[in-house]
Amino acid sequence: MSLRAMVASIRVGWYREFNWTNPLTGFSLRTVGPLASVIAASTVYYVGSTNNIPPSFDPSRLAYILIGAALYAHVAAYSWVPTLAIAEGKWTYVFPQVYISPHSSLPYLTGRTLASFVTSTLTVIVSLVLSFYVLSSVFHTNIPFIVTPLSVGLLFFAMLVNIFAALGLGLLLSAYALFATKFEWALPTYVAGLLMVFSEALFPVSFLPHPVSDVANVLPFTEFMRASRQAMIYGDMHSYFSYIGLAVLGGIIVLALGFVAFRYAENRARRLGVIDKKTA
Amino acid sequence: MNRVDTDITVQVDGLRREFDSKEGKVTALDGVDLQVRKGEIFGVLGPNGAGKTTMIRILSTLLLPTAGKAGVMGFDVEKEPEKIRAVINMASGAERAGYDFISARGNLWFFSQLYGIPTKEAHKRINELSEMLGLQSYLDRKFYALSTGYKQRVTLVRAFINDPKVVFLDEPTIGLDVMTALSIREYILKQAKEHGRTILIATHNMAEVDAICNRVAIIDKGKILACDTPAALKRSLGAPSLVLEVSPPPTPGSLEPLGKLEGVKGYTASTDEERGLSRIQVVVDGDGSAQSVVDSIRKLGMTVVSNWRQQATLEEVFVALVGRGFREREREAAQ
Amino acid sequence: MKLHSNPWLRTAYARLWVRAKSIYGEPLWVAVNIGFPFFTSFSLTMVYRAYGLNSFTGFAILGGVMISFWGNVLWSMASQFNWDKQVGLFEIYITSPAPISAILVGMSLGGILGTAPSAAMVALLGWMIFHPPINAIWPAVISVFALTLASLYAMGMALSSLYLAYGREADSVNEALHEPVSLISGVYFPSTGGFSPFPLAVQAGASLIPLTLGMDALRRTLFFGQGFGELYLDLELLALAAMGVVLLFASSKALKFLENKGRRTGTIAVRQR
Repeated sequence: MSLRAMVASIRVGWYREFNWTNPLTGFSLRTVGPLASVIAASTVYYVGSTNNIPPSFDPSRLAYILIGAALYAHVAAYSWVPTLAIAEGKWTYVFPQVYISPHSSLPYLTGRTLASFVTSTLTVIVSLVLSFYVLSSVFHTNIPFIVTPLSVGLLFFAMLVNIFAALGLGLLLSAYALFATKFEWALPTYVAGLLMVFSEALFPVSFLPHPVSDVANVLPFTEFMRASRQAMIYGDMHSYFSYIGLAVLGGIIVLALGFVAFRYAENRARRLGVIDKKTA
Repeated sequence: MNRVDTDITVQVDGLRREFDSKEGKVTALDGVDLQVRKGEIFGVLGPNGAGKTTMIRILSTLLLPTAGKAGVMGFDVEKEPEKIRAVINMASGAERAGYDFISARGNLWFFSQLYGIPTKEAHKRINELSEMLGLQSYLDRKFYALSTGYKQRVTLVRAFINDPKVVFLDEPTIGLDVMTALSIREYILKQAKEHGRTILIATHNMAEVDAICNRVAIIDKGKILACDTPAALKRSLGAPSLVLEVSPPPTPGSLEPLGKLEGVKGYTASTDEERGLSRIQVVVDGDGSAQSVVDSIRKLGMTVVSNWRQQATLEEVFVALVGRGFREREREAAQ
Repeated sequence: MKLHSNPWLRTAYARLWVRAKSIYGEPLWVAVNIGFPFFTSFSLTMVYRAYGLNSFTGFAILGGVMISFWGNVLWSMASQFNWDKQVGLFEIYITSPAPISAILVGMSLGGILGTAPSAAMVALLGWMIFHPPINAIWPAVISVFALTLASLYAMGMALSSLYLAYGREADSVNEALHEPVSLISGVYFPSTGGFSPFPLAVQAGASLIPLTLGMDALRRTLFFGQGFGELYLDLELLALAAMGVVLLFASSKALKFLENKGRRTGTIAVRQR
């Protein structure tokens, strides 16, 4: 029953994202944002380093930022989907309906997240490829990416592994949305901002002050970024798999935390009588 | 429109409105004529999709007619919308318009400013109108924290905030509990009686029309079928209608032969699921026809559990005019 | 009841009040609004700093400030009428005698007032954490800032009429516009002039967006000590003012056109949800 609910939710998620227009327009509109943010972050580095005195441009750093910005956009795009599904579902009365059907709320949220994961994976691939070509030609530089079937496969694997952590984060955020009557949209945006700082998306977390850097250092998202860079830039298999191991471990912990928080919030929301309350 | 006749506040002549749809042109209003007088509560009664909301949208300057003329307070809806806007207001029962993070009072003050009302006067009016609707103790709550019923009260205070000469209300009590609906009806009555406002109500609630409207126009498929006071319309039927409780409930379309019987003006049926019975109301022109209805029902394989005569309601008036009730009409429209 | 002599001002003030009250009545909004601009600005400032590009850190902090306003223009100006239409507020505006231009101006001023605290916090935090090198001519900075906002919000007004016409899934369009515009406008780095890595055609296209000229002019006055009388800066200010006027005029005409079209086609009060 749960599997059926999850598959149905993946379909709903897909319709929700694309049914308002044709798939090409929908996909283009969804890609243009991440693509622009990847190019913007990379250009920040390029402009600074080429106009520095003396110029200090290093193509591998450009590759570092490019990969980080693209994957950050990927995680940010789908980890907040459970919150969206709840907040929007309260407005449309879909969520209370899902909630009162047996064992459906978690499969529903997971299904919606997975649908969004597929979409954002596609957009991140397009963003990476396009920004690679745009930046290489505009900046007249060779961006040192390792593009082989193995490296691309390892990148995909890292993205799959990261679903644990992203879904866990999604559940943590949606736990608030369950009993929130306002601002539930804001929390994921906030956390997405924090993630940009703490997940080594654009700069090494060692530049952050202690003990903040220590916390950032063990986040599964940070390990995911590191593993992805090993796959696409540095090619060190040993490091790749140790980062993946840490990402899996961290991901399972975050998922467990998300699950516990969700269950707690569920009870609290029922006590407060807000599980079916429209939010402001 | 005749501008000399100051007693006429709403004048509609040959009003027609078509909409484009995938299936082609859809006619929402088909040559409507009506006049509403000053201080009148005028009901436009019809099933969903009859054209009521379209008429209100045209009169409140949201929509242009395809053909025909419509005027409010002597101003033409097509050429003088700005002049009409200064003297009207409108509200819809489906509407819960307001800024969530502002109090009900703040929202109402904001709406009053759209009419240029000085703040002191605006607050005085907000208090007066809110008191009539029992909204006062909720005025300082944030809009999002109000229940559906109280949001609707805010909407109705807003509809009268600018001291309008003419107010258009579209299903003002839809979805509300009986007590709230009653207090809203009292409020509307007071607004017309004490302030001489013209109020045009589009509704499919017959009890509402019966309770507060001075006159009512019955509309179906964009055409006005009858227009008079509710009492006169009911009187026009003559004989009381026949009500039969039958079992088993009729299947869709099985009652068609009833409509063809001599002396039968129309019928409407509803099912009481709990009792497993159907109630059929038949508008007849005399006792003779009543017997043939009972016989016909039996022939259709149904048992008449009980039957009695009932004083006419507006629903029977509609049935007599159209041959079907609201429910059947809405079902037909949906198909 | 007689209409008050200045309904335009009343309407504009009331709309401003509603917007400002929504923000200041819920102080958490300020905290909410500061989140994403601050963290983005922080991260990009760290990119400059981590790679030894300290002299550029101010660009990213200024970007964080201005992105708050750009976000407000998109989410609370451009798509506002579309949202108003969905909840039934737009038909109230239309059926009232209130001038729609007054509502737009009130909405803009309220938006600026409401965004100012979070933008100021981004600036303050950025300055306290990173101490970016500043070489400012303050009267010029303030004038440029005001003119940039005026022109940016005029763009918001023009966009609001566009959204009203083609507003299906305004949120998706907003998401699609937010980053690309901030990229080509050079919110976090100079996208025009000598520092820009972009081809001339892209720079010329970008200059048609008020945010681009505003950002460039702000960087000139805030970090490069330029003031009035500098030819390029003066030209930018002139262009910004002209854009503001044109966009204001265009938005007013477009809204009137859309109102008439909506009355013909019956779409003024069609709600999507």
